[in-house]
Amino acid sequence: MNQRSDVLTLEAVGKSFGSTTVLRDITLSVASNEFLTILGPSGSGKTTILRLIAGFEAPTTGRIMLDGADISQMPINRRPFNTVFQDYALFPHLSVRRNVGYGLMVRGVPKAEIEPRVEAVLAIVGLQDYALRLPRELSGGQRQRVALARAIICEPRVILLDEPLAALDVALRAQMCKFLKDIQRRLDIAFVFITHDQQEAIAMSDRIVVMRDGRIEQIGGPEELYAFPASRFVAGFFGENNLIDGVVGAVDGARCKVETPIGPLWGSARGPAAVAGAEVHLAIRPEALVLGATDGHRFVVRDAQFAGPTTLIEAQGVVAPEVTLRLRVPSGGTRALPAVGDVVAIGWSETDARVIAAEGSNG
Amino acid sequence: MDDRRDLWRMGWAAFCLGLPFLFVLAPIGTFILYSFWHNESGALVREFTLENYRAFFADPVFRNIYLQTVALCLGATIVNLVVGYAIALFASRRPPRLRFALILMFMLPLFTSYIIKVYAVRGILGHRGVLNELLLASGLISEPITAFIFSQSAIFLTFIVLYLPFAILPIYLSIERIPENLGTASADLGGSQMDEIRHIILPLSLPGVVVAALFNFVMTFGDFVTPTMVGGTEGFTFGRIVFSQFGVALNWPLGAALAVILLATSVLAVGVAGLAMRWSTAR
Repeated sequence: MNQRSDVLTLEAVGKSFGSTTVLRDITLSVASNEFLTILGPSGSGKTTILRLIAGFEAPTTGRIMLDGADISQMPINRRPFNTVFQDYALFPHLSVRRNVGYGLMVRGVPKAEIEPRVEAVLAIVGLQDYALRLPRELSGGQRQRVALARAIICEPRVILLDEPLAALDVALRAQMCKFLKDIQRRLDIAFVFITHDQQEAIAMSDRIVVMRDGRIEQIGGPEELYAFPASRFVAGFFGENNLIDGVVGAVDGARCKVETPIGPLWGSARGPAAVAGAEVHLAIRPEALVLGATDGHRFVVRDAQFAGPTTLIEAQGVVAPEVTLRLRVPSGGTRALPAVGDVVAIGWSETDARVIAAEGSNG
Repeated sequence: MDDRRDLWRMGWAAFCLGLPFLFVLAPIGTFILYSFWHNESGALVREFTLENYRAFFADPVFRNIYLQTVALCLGATIVNLVVGYAIALFASRRPPRLRFALILMFMLPLFTSYIIKVYAVRGILGHRGVLNELLLASGLISEPITAFIFSQSAIFLTFIVLYLPFAILPIYLSIERIPENLGTASADLGGSQMDEIRHIILPLSLPGVVVAALFNFVMTFGDFVTPTMVGGTEGFTFGRIVFSQFGVALNWPLGAALAVILLATSVLAVGVAGLAMRWSTAR
């Protein structure tokens, strides 16, 4: 692919433990300076992918390639990857500088060379003054930085991060997100980041791999996944969505006409959804819905929840009661908010409606 | 209501503090007291004297046996630490079921009587024991080797056999407690198996090693039954001397003074062990 140079490639990788298959047919590549996030709920197999790359487990099927060479059977300590563990796995009996210098020490780098390199890396993560502390004398965020420093000092081709922010509190997490992204840009190497938090994924990633039940559900940039989720699962993962069930009636390029209980609706589609007769959902973000649109559909307001700057309104179709929509309207707007029981007109721009393949009908 | 609870609490505290006083401090205090008295023609004279201690430090026989016993017990301790560590490390790296079976096998001797074990060792090391019979049968020797039994080396071997479980168990437990992902992290950072053992497992299991060393040294140093049964006349140890003062010579004050020296040696060992713990961290 044009400018991209892939450092790491997984080719049809699968992993089973006994009769349980945890990964199926994983094919993906990591560019040499990419921030790639593997996103999925717990049990989706995302951590297993990381463990396979790091060499903690061997794949049952498929190959893992580094610069085009198969490394599936290469021992852990020979792989040019370093891991930031979920619980950091810092050596509790070694000071920060010995933890950070460990990778160089076991490689036989002379002491005189280790010290300045440790200093330099500690400066990058902002822990120069903590070199002599033991891990137990550090805060969670500081331990996190030590774990990162320990991983980057060996100048690996890829840094693997296994939910490193999960143990931090919310404020610190946002700060570390920015920090990690900065470091990745500065070092200009590949980061493979595992998380179940879509906000982290969106904030940091160049590309996101969405995992589900041991398979890749979709790979794409954050905007792409947000705007064009390939499935209802992906759509659900990235924020709230209104889904209206229907069947594709006609296809016109990237536009589809979907026959729904509230009438034919147009939306944009990509991939397998854009086939006449396909069972689909029409997905519209709550913030894209407009209350009181002139060409809107008639809905009855069932609930209105004040949520600070916006009010969340739940409405049920007048013609088709099985269709419910949730929409956000500004709380302090000039127009009075509708009351429960009011009939309102709800509309949206065609470009905000996406056609998503229904469960089971996508390849 | 509150008063009753306070009473209970005080009673409980008195019980917890009183038991060690009654069972530990009181007997020790008694023999420390005895060590400052002396015997005169079989009768106990309750007058303060340092004569018993002077006897220990002045008499080269006591001193030599003391030093010999320290060396013997240190030697047995070191052998058991090395062997015990190897076994514990090996076991800790097996699958869980095998691990359990291995440890259980090594702990089995703890469930049998001490005397039976000593006799078993005698049966192996003795003049017509299993070891000699095997060597004779194989043609390696033409006459039974007598040095196996009733010698310092017999005590040494028996100590190793008897006290090995006390080395394996604490070491195994401390290795077991080391989080698995530290080893993974070591490998991830490029470390070999040897690096992991040397830089991670060994320092982190040091508390277990120290406890094992203490168990072995203190228990062997005080043991007088084993030396009596397999040591013969050659295998005189400090524990036997202490025992003989109480049981044979009936010189309780001297025996008590020697026992105080034995206790002091053990306390010193605990102190050294405490210092050794500091090596486990590196800044």
